[in-house]
Amino acid sequence: MDRLYYTPREVAEILSISDDKVRELVNAGDLPGIRVSPRITRIPIAAFDLWRAGFVPRQRQVVIKPAARRVVVGDGEDRPTAARRVATG
Amino acid sequence: MTIVTQDDLAAYLVRLVAWGERFAITFAGVDDELTLGREPGDALVIDLDGRLPHAPRITAATISIFERWTAQPKRGLVRTEYAYELRDPVFDYRRALHYHDEDHFVRQFQVATHEHCEATMGVATCGRYFGYPVRDGIDGLSRLYDVWLRAAKPDCSELRCLS
Repeated sequence: MDRLYYTPREVAEILSISDDKVRELVNAGDLPGIRVSPRITRIPIAAFDLWRAGFVPRQRQVVIKPAARRVVVGDGEDRPTAARRVATG
Repeated sequence: MTIVTQDDLAAYLVRLVAWGERFAITFAGVDDELTLGREPGDALVIDLDGRLPHAPRITAATISIFERWTAQPKRGLVRTEYAYELRDPVFDYRRALHYHDEDHFVRQFQVATHEHCEATMGVATCGRYFGYPVRDGIDGLSRLYDVWLRAAKPDCSELRCLS
């Protein structure tokens, strides 16, 4: 499978700017990138392509409605039983 | 994570979805409106499923976000449970970041956040792994997105098994 991300250096070459400028753009949130650690930043290729195409997420309204389903977080894993939860709570 | 008002929570949901879309995540059922679900008991939930970008003829990896927000006196809305999940059918693995049953987990493992790691989906060599708290949904998405970016099975042995 092809790689899914660019390094800051690769993006710098594509954009003809410095590595530091790429990191600056990522840190400022202007360029989508994942800062894995202070030394490692990854720029997803799909996100980079969208960014270059000028993609801007649309503005949306938020509505409050009855929840569509009841989710039990951790369902399917070994969770404390209700009785134990009461006992330890 | 604490948010004071419903308006703040709504603004957070907008930011979360926008972040995902900038990273080419396609959320199911998201159109002009975003929904905060209200549960009996008045908890509010964020419940999103998304597809990660994928090449033609390749099944997309999926990512899901679930957060339960509960109103608490003098604190406003508090994220009392969360689950961020990544399933990659190409490399056949699952990763998840969970926070639930806080009292039980703190008592038993001295940590509330835990992770799940299945290098082969459905096959857990450890029930749960130590997890660092997830600051917010964007932090959760970022961590899982980075796992997916590596385009390889995760090495679950790098994590600390709790049970």
